[in-house]
Amino acid sequence: MNFKDFILEHKQALLVIFVAILLSPLFALAADAVGYSEPLEKSAEHLGAEETPLYGGILPDYSVPGLDSPIGTFIAGLVGSLVTLIIMYGVTKLIQGRNN
Amino acid sequence: MHIPDGFLDMNIAIVYYLLTAIVIAFCIYKIKRDGVDEKRIPIAGLVAAGIFAAQMLNWPIPGGTSAHFVGGAVAAIILGPFLGCIAMTSVVTIQALVFGDGGITALGTNLFSMAIVDVFVAYYLYKVLSKKNTKIASFIAGWLGITLGAINTGIAVGLSSTFKYSITTTVPIMGIWHGVLGIIEGLITVAIVSYIEKNRGDILYSSTKNKKVGKGGRK
Repeated sequence: MNFKDFILEHKQALLVIFVAILLSPLFALAADAVGYSEPLEKSAEHLGAEETPLYGGILPDYSVPGLDSPIGTFIAGLVGSLVTLIIMYGVTKLIQGRNN
Repeated sequence: MHIPDGFLDMNIAIVYYLLTAIVIAFCIYKIKRDGVDEKRIPIAGLVAAGIFAAQMLNWPIPGGTSAHFVGGAVAAIILGPFLGCIAMTSVVTIQALVFGDGGITALGTNLFSMAIVDVFVAYYLYKVLSKKNTKIASFIAGWLGITLGAINTGIAVGLSSTFKYSITTTVPIMGIWHGVLGIIEGLITVAIVSYIEKNRGDILYSSTKNKKVGKGGRK
């Protein structure tokens, strides 16, 4: 399948993913505003456990170093979704096994 | 549910890495043996990318405890348990390696919670319950999939010294909170699965399996 066929055949799914990425900066701002905290962080706080980060990642915390946070979040979302799409496509192709 | 570095004792982290590697190897074996239809390869990529994007949408719950969509049930119901596990593995691994979300030492444990427990629990619940009602089945798959995934996270950190070996504290905190928050996961799962069932029922794993009855003639 070539690139153009892929886009045309799956435009609806691609659009849904793009809308989610577009909304992600808003959700990030809203999460900041309410003091987002997951149950695991609550447990850690309760028992005094502290994380010791070993590695921050290329785009730490879904942001682009040096970029404004909403734009950074958007770019991180776009890059992450694209990388995930390519990797999962490639991995599935690699392990697809006997075909029909 | 993403455990960062520093929360797990090294022996626990290693045991989970081994368990996870065994299950992933088994999934790859099953996928190779059964084969993946050429048309399903882009769908696998899109499901993984969609779950990555959806995980970025944190639910801003005021004043309390928050969470985000995990997606193991969605992956399991669309792609089946084995490819669904590989899709979640791609998402969680990329989150750790590219975005520093979830520790490197904790990756085996995080994969066990989100790519194995969540996916397989959700898949088998859906498989059994969908004979009666697919909406109720997707809801329960989404809800209990992440609740049990979270309980696994609670067990792993609770067995570790940073958490003072307080498994009796961590498991209830993780289980109860994610049990409550999991209702949202269940509702999102129902919405996605119902939509796909209505518009592209042919891409669901259950319908591709039915077609396989005439396996011999498909070559």
